[in-house]
Amino acid sequence: MLREKRAQDIEKVLAKYPPERRRSAVMPLLYIAQEEYGYCTPEAIREVAEIIGCDPTEVKSIVGFYTMFYEQPVGKYVIDVCDDLPCALRGADRFVSHCEKKLGIRVGETTPDGKFTLNTVMCIAACDRAPVLQINKQYRYALDEQTFDRMIDELP
Amino acid sequence: MAELVNVTIDGVTVAVPKGTLVVDAAKKIGNHIPVFCYHPKLKPVGMCRMCLVDIGTPKIDPATKQVVRDENGNPVIQFMPKLTTACTTPVSEGMVVRTATEQVRAAREDILEFLLTSHPLDCPICDKGGECPLQNLTLAHGPGVSRFDYDAKFHNEKHVPLGELIFLDRERCIQCSRCIRFQDEIADDHVLQFHDRGRGMEIITFSDPPFDSYFGGNTTDICPVGALTTADFRFKARPWELQSAQSICTHCAVGCNITLNTRLETRHGGFEIKRVMPRQNEWVNEIWICDKGRYVHHFTRSEDRLHLPLIRREGRLVESTWQQALQLVADTLRAADGEIVLMVGDRIPNEDAYLLGQLGRAIGARVSVSPNVPSHYADVARAFGVGKDADFKRLGRGDLVLAVNADVEEQAPVWFLRLRQAVVDRGAQLIIAHHRSTKLHRYASAIHRFEVGRAPEWVQQQAETLAQALQAARHALIVFGDEHLDGPRARALAQLLANLLLQSGHAGRSDSGLLPLYPHANTQGVCDVLSPHTALPPAARVVWAVGVGDPQELPPAGFYIIQEVLHTALVEQADVVLPSLTFAEREGTFTSGDRRVQRFYRALPAPGEAKPDWWIAQEVARRLGFEWRYNSPAEIFEALAKDVPAYAELSYAALSRVVEQWPPIGREDLYYGGTAYDNTGGIGARYAAEAETRALPPYDVTIPEPTIAGLKRGPRMLYRDGELIRRSALLRARMVSLQQVA
Ligand code: SF4
Ligand code: SF4
Ligand code: FES
Ligand code: FES
Repeated sequence: MLREKRAQDIEKVLAKYPPERRRSAVMPLLYIAQEEYGYCTPEAIREVAEIIGCDPTEVKSIVGFYTMFYEQPVGKYVIDVCDDLPCALRGADRFVSHCEKKLGIRVGETTPDGKFTLNTVMCIAACDRAPVLQINKQYRYALDEQTFDRMIDELP
Repeated sequence: MAELVNVTIDGVTVAVPKGTLVVDAAKKIGNHIPVFCYHPKLKPVGMCRMCLVDIGTPKIDPATKQVVRDENGNPVIQFMPKLTTACTTPVSEGMVVRTATEQVRAAREDILEFLLTSHPLDCPICDKGGECPLQNLTLAHGPGVSRFDYDAKFHNEKHVPLGELIFLDRERCIQCSRCIRFQDEIADDHVLQFHDRGRGMEIITFSDPPFDSYFGGNTTDICPVGALTTADFRFKARPWELQSAQSICTHCAVGCNITLNTRLETRHGGFEIKRVMPRQNEWVNEIWICDKGRYVHHFTRSEDRLHLPLIRREGRLVESTWQQALQLVADTLRAADGEIVLMVGDRIPNEDAYLLGQLGRAIGARVSVSPNVPSHYADVARAFGVGKDADFKRLGRGDLVLAVNADVEEQAPVWFLRLRQAVVDRGAQLIIAHHRSTKLHRYASAIHRFEVGRAPEWVQQQAETLAQALQAARHALIVFGDEHLDGPRARALAQLLANLLLQSGHAGRSDSGLLPLYPHANTQGVCDVLSPHTALPPAARVVWAVGVGDPQELPPAGFYIIQEVLHTALVEQADVVLPSLTFAEREGTFTSGDRRVQRFYRALPAPGEAKPDWWIAQEVARRLGFEWRYNSPAEIFEALAKDVPAYAELSYAALSRVVEQWPPIGREDLYYGGTAYDNTGGIGARYAAEAETRALPPYDVTIPEPTIAGLKRGPRMLYRDGELIRRSALLRARMVSLQQVA
């Protein structure tokens, strides 16, 4: 139960909103859930709904809308490569193919050992240093095939 | 009267209230701007872009703030740089709208081409085919051909159960969100939402149980495509094969106007009901019905229907002729020497109840109504009920709704929708007093609790405060239920509430009054037309039960005459069984809980030799020497109106009156309001409350002590009865949970 495991964090979030606006806490609570379980589990979605007093369908819809909420288990490292237009002009599509080859999975998949998940995302506001990716939300800029491979090989 | 503004649409100038949306203003002058996401009963969202039109407003000189005029003195109209959605734009003075331009035509064509890129176009097997807005609008405004590759269509799941009663076809959905908004804005059950975005966007439910709402069926009516279908009707018939009969729902006191769609079947040797649809009556149910009204119709063709009269011979019920059965009934009644109880169920139409009452009185029988409790206070409701011209739509800011001992969503679902809107959307104040929580509690500004069955005492104690609250309100509507009360105590409650109306000056005022949560469609009517005895003798020689649901209500007797439509438990103890007709097989009138008398029409042939209750009453009467010669309910209604003062001004002609209603429903406006039916059978009429016609004194009330039997009387919850679709586990689950709260 999220409420037991992360009681203090939840309280801290809820304290920021007036009681009748509890619903507004939905996103930070989902982040807590995702931090705890790696993705937004169905149970966590229901629990968040209960905490903020709305229907689980409404919470599920938010999880579904935002790409940074995961609905499936993800690897230890989630790699989000930008393949939006400016990055694409700098070879992001070729770079993505390389990532797939290096990790041995397709975009949207997780390596069988559960270590890496590879996603493509819309512009992450670092077009000037494309190709660019986020690994567990940390930026890595101006990548090429060698730097990518090194990064992967060095990760524990 | 709201302020009017002038708007010119394709050269036609019309004055409409300020705030009217362009799409509605156009509709009023017969200019049908196509829409998909817009629905006149829901808030506009501008999602589908089907309603794009060219909108201009008078140019204003920024310096002088005056309208700029051309050399002829006409205002210069400045059109918006792009087309605008007519469904989100309110009219303004001098606005000019163009809907017939090449640009608008092209936009409509483009939007339809887009909507159809991945639409499966499986109209030949689609339930909506034949009454589908997408089909119709494509024909009217769409391109003849698509430039998209057929093989590139995006495919998706076609049979997704959203709950037990509603299925979703993901590739037919055009993401208009009407279903979501209905559930959010009208039903207040937030069980549908979008998931994902762009091409992946789809309708989901993640609720538990999934799509669980008493009003879910309405989403299938307003879905502009065949994406939502009911488990009950899907793949059962094509719309153009269906016959329609205008009817009234019998399951609760709201009296929703419905249309029975029937089709000729070999199976039952005649027509059978394929689906129940809402029929527009803006004073009753608007264009909605609850799921009970929609799905609980299979009993009309149940295997348990009685087809022939039965007579008990040597312990066994055997089939007989009407002649034999009627003669036996007449002889038995004659020999009973007035030691007769005639009990009439509250689903019996007015005409039949009236004749039965006449006959009962003439043979000295004790005439009573079943269930018995409401007959203790129906006269109070007749005196202090809502006014003749009351309209729930007018309730809003400044008005008060007081709900005492009432579970409105469970007992009168569509009233729940309407009262909720008065409170949530229009700002009426809501005060609730109950021993348990109900869905209505969500909107209350004050909540009071009393112990189970203590409603009368609570009202008496709070009389001063309540009267003050009522006095401060412009109009006061008091809705009350009789759960955990016996007859005398329920009567005391009704009287105490009526006294509040008198004390606060609301008695006899139009939008104020009592609103009782009666158990069935004609509780008020039956009580009105046969002036029942409330007390029963401990035993009788003969009991004649007509449409009585609960065997426990009958006193012990030496001989039972059971007049019924189904082979119920009561039939088992009968000495004579007289098979009668359901509301679907005949015509007649019902009087709703707010005293609106409404006609219903015949939809199905009679099963076997079953007969209407009025016919049976008349045949018995004739065998007892009365010269009755009524040929139809219409003739009986005439006699009834002469005899029952409250009904004096009513006639079939008056009840059949139809008026233009807004929004326009049915006809060619299918795409606009959904597949609800146009009202051609009459909107009915409410008779005046006695308090409207003369000054009434307050009741002198002494609250009787509670009885065990009274305290044990749980509420009649619509979704708890076993008579709801027995196949539905979802509905069964509701019954269990409700039993626990009761
Ligand atoms: S299911 Fe029907 S009503 Fe709901 S969004 Fe799709 S098309 Fe609209
Ligand atoms: S609210 Fe009552 S009258 Fe209306 S459909 Fe439901 S059960 Fe029938
Ligand atoms: S397009 Fe890749 S970061 Fe902006
Ligand atoms: S955008 Fe106006 S009807 Fe959909």
